[in-house]
Order: sequence, then structure tokens, then C-alpha cells
Amino acid sequence: MPVEFWRFLKAVELSGFSKWVREANSIWAYPTVLFLHTVGLAFAVGISVAVSLRVLGFGSRMPTKPMDKFFPIIWAGFWLNAFSGTILLATDATAKMKNPVFYIKMGFILLAVITVQLTRNRVFRNHDADTTPVSMNSKILAASSIFLWLAAIVTGRLLAYLTATHIVGSDI
Amino acid sequence: MSYLDAISRWLKATGLSWAMLHYTWVWPTCQILHLIGMAFLVGIVGFLDLRILGIGKGIPISMVHQLLPWGIAGFVLNMTTGILFYIGDPFQYLHARVFHFKMLFILVAGLNVLYFYLSGLLAKVEALGPVEDAPLSAKVIAVVSLTIWVGVIYLGRMLPFLGDSF
Repeated sequence: MPVEFWRFLKAVELSGFSKWVREANSIWAYPTVLFLHTVGLAFAVGISVAVSLRVLGFGSRMPTKPMDKFFPIIWAGFWLNAFSGTILLATDATAKMKNPVFYIKMGFILLAVITVQLTRNRVFRNHDADTTPVSMNSKILAASSIFLWLAAIVTGRLLAYLTATHIVGSDI
Repeated sequence: MSYLDAISRWLKATGLSWAMLHYTWVWPTCQILHLIGMAFLVGIVGFLDLRILGIGKGIPISMVHQLLPWGIAGFVLNMTTGILFYIGDPFQYLHARVFHFKMLFILVAGLNVLYFYLSGLLAKVEALGPVEDAPLSAKVIAVVSLTIWVGVIYLGRMLPFLGDSF
């Protein structure tokens, strides 16, 4: 990537806001951003797991159409984490953007969001869903969303342990 | 509370405690499982609470109940990994006020569920028609449950900052 891009990331990292979040000895700084990121995870992943389990045949007597109303909760958790995650990225931008695990985590999240939305369209917005059996493709999509969210959790937690210098061994 | 000190000292001397800290992959693995268990527990319990509060009307509450074993599985996973953290390094938790509050919050969450069952409110809510509004008392229990679990997440996340655990 061009050197201007890395200069930009460095500037973001050195900005007053990033410095405050990273270094202020305040419960409202870094700890609160981490807390928001964990709450967002609980609702995005947790509610997504609940609706996916329905597709996989657990609680299969629940009508699917009203369950569509739970997707905004999943999205609220997702956007809370996009927001808090952007702040976490800003505090450590150059290292994160050099860390392969960061891109793997983003890949898992992108694919999770896609499978969640595809499941929503195929099952929860399908008027025939409650009168016909759930298709194998829908079940594969639902199982994939659970797997992809869990993979995002695994790589996200590992990001706290793996720094770019461990992996790439360089610094800008 | 010196008996808790004694138990903690004994736990610290076990091989399991040694293993929790000796192998560098064990602690992060347990943290990952603790996050996954949390997502299952809060996701399923949150789904039921939000349904009681009126989201997704048309889903009979008695049917949401069928998902609860997955939430309980999340709770068991978190109790197990939580106990492992404690065995690994008891004294970073034993005297930390934020840890005491976290345990207290989990206890209150348990009592809240117990009251929901024993008061007969759960049975009343499950007898409702799919689009009927839940009684206010059940909604209060749902709000308490959501608040307590978000509080548990907060206190857990604050263990390294308000306490000094890793």
C-alpha cells in the first residue's frame, strides 16, 4: 500500500482522540470502548445464533415471519461493533493494518453478515417458509453464520494477543 | 471470609492451577470459550426477554422456551471456564470488588429467573396468545434480566481495569 496511506494511519493513531482512548487513565476511555464492543458481540452473535438455531430445526414450531423483527437487533449489535471497532482500530491503526489476523477477522465478519442476510431473505422473509420444510441450502447458510461468527470471536480475541511485530517483524 | 482464603490457597497449589498459567494457549482458549458461552447465554435469554417486551409478536412465548437449553449450555460453559480462571489465579479475583459485584449480579439474575418460575408468571406468559401483550410484571422481569446481563458483561470486561486481573 502507498506510503501516504501508512502516513494517514500513523496520523490517525497519533491524533488526540486516539491518544486519549489509548492512554487516558479513565474508565470512560479504552475500557468503555472494549465494553461496548463486547455488548455488540453478545447481541449480534447471540441473536444471530438464536434465529440460526430455528432454521436448523431447534424451536422449529416458532413461526419464522415474526422472527424477522429480531434482525434489527442483530444489525444494532453489528453497528455498535463497527463503531467501537473503528475506535479500537484508530488507537492501533498501523499495527492492526499490518496484522494478517485482522484481515482474517474482517473476512469472517463480512461472510457472516452475508450469510445472515441471505438466511433472512430465504427463510424469514419468505411467506411459504412455515408451510414448506426448511431447505438444506438454508440450513447450510444458518450453520455457516454460526461458524463464521464464532471464527470472528476466535480471531478477534487472538488479535489482543498477536501484535504485528510477532507476525511481520517490522514496524513503520 | 478466611475459609475462602484457605480454599483459594489450596486451589492455587493444584496441578490444574499450574497448568492454567504454564501453557500460554490455555488462558486465551478459555477466554474465547467464555466469549462464545456469553454470546449463547445472552443471545438466547435476550431473545426471550425481548419477545416478552413485545418484539416479534406472533411468536408464542412457550415456543421460544425450546431454545433455552442452548442458553443453559452457554451458562454451563461459562461457569466451567470461569471456575478454571479462578483456579488458575484465585487471588486476582478473591479480593477484587468488581469480581464480587459480578458474582452478585449473576446471583440476582438467577433469583430473577427463580422468581419468574415460582411466581407463576412464566406459566401465565406462556399461556398467552401469540400476539397478546405480556403483563407489566413480566416485562419488568425481562428488563431486569437484560440489564443484569449487560451489567455482568460490564463487570467482567472491567476485571482488568477496576480490578487487576489479566
